[in-house]
Amino acid sequence: MTIEAITGRYLTVDVQGVSQRIYFEEAGQGRPVLCLHTAGADTRQWRHLMNDAEITAAHRIIAFDMPWHGKSLPPEGFETQEYLLTTEAYIDTVLAVIDRLGLDKPILAGCSMGGRIALQLAAQYSDHFAGFIAIEASDFQPAWYDIDWFHRPDAHGGEMGAALVSANISPYAPNAERWNTMWMFMQSGPGVFRGDLSFYTRDDSLIPRLPDIDTEKTPVHIIVGAYDLTCTPEDAERTANAIPGATLAVMDELGHFPMSEHPEGFRPFFVDALAKMP
Amino acid sequence: MIDTFGLIKDRLDQSPHLLRLGRLFSETVLIEVGKDEYYLTFDKGHLVSVVQGPSRKTPWCFALRTDATALTKFWEPLPEPGFHDIFGLVKIGRGRVDGDILSLVKNLRFFKEIMAIPRTQKEVAQ
Repeated sequence: MTIEAITGRYLTVDVQGVSQRIYFEEAGQGRPVLCLHTAGADTRQWRHLMNDAEITAAHRIIAFDMPWHGKSLPPEGFETQEYLLTTEAYIDTVLAVIDRLGLDKPILAGCSMGGRIALQLAAQYSDHFAGFIAIEASDFQPAWYDIDWFHRPDAHGGEMGAALVSANISPYAPNAERWNTMWMFMQSGPGVFRGDLSFYTRDDSLIPRLPDIDTEKTPVHIIVGAYDLTCTPEDAERTANAIPGATLAVMDELGHFPMSEHPEGFRPFFVDALAKMP
Repeated sequence: MIDTFGLIKDRLDQSPHLLRLGRLFSETVLIEVGKDEYYLTFDKGHLVSVVQGPSRKTPWCFALRTDATALTKFWEPLPEPGFHDIFGLVKIGRGRVDGDILSLVKNLRFFKEIMAIPRTQKEVAQ
């Protein structure tokens, strides 16, 4: 029987004039590392890193559930709203959480849509950060599926979403962690995965901003799994090439959710990424 | 190939969780492997018949079209990237799905898991 080192609390911030009660978890002390989950999932994707005593000995690992995700409730009046994430709302949410927690220049580690927004922040708000670890992150991905599949009255969006994202999980992933990773998608609220994908698959505003990223000031390290169909190694390489000074690592046996699907395989790549940060 | 589909049929019948996943699935699926056609008919999750084509009069719900080499790679225990998933085959240009895609997506976990059954079988019939 064990009690894990992870603690969870709530904070309330104002994002674009809307009050958002946000759940966050943290573990460890030292350099702050703020972690962003993928579309359709939540903070639990970071559970293994937050339980890694060697990493938390020198780092304060923090992750939060985006509004509408995990244990963060949607805002008041959500019952009449269509959830559609935007780059602006996402950026404002991340900055509000950093401000509310009083974090001094954290390292930002984001996966998938979290990696996309990490690069947006690197281009536009680098002063708030020490550096960026962009996982399964690319400039832009149009959808190779119909995002409306995941929000319809005659089918379970969570089950369909999980079945679809399984395409992005490596066959090397331990079976238990493969299914833990998919469970989060199964639990995702109605329309939430679709609303995240709307941001991820329709907003290409990052492309012209990539050359503006100053990696001398804030390093950018991109990590990508070979089994990621959504952000392929080619997509990540193209993106890294567009950022002067960005570095890239390819994980041959991992997929789109490396920290969650295969924690042991991901760990050395994350440790290496941390070492590249100031 | 027909033996491999027979293996899927037998293993499916012995897998209560798969039959539960497929309990609302009663459709015919076309698997096209190169020039060969296989019509897999399901009844409440059971694979009740596998009929080799060609056929111009067998209605089907959705189709997965690929080639024998790709399917052999798909059935390896640890497939290469792209060969690890039916949508992976599509993404790398070695497969195509058409027909009633919504029916496929609604039953995606069931269909993916039954198609992956030969991966756990040591001797895959060619």
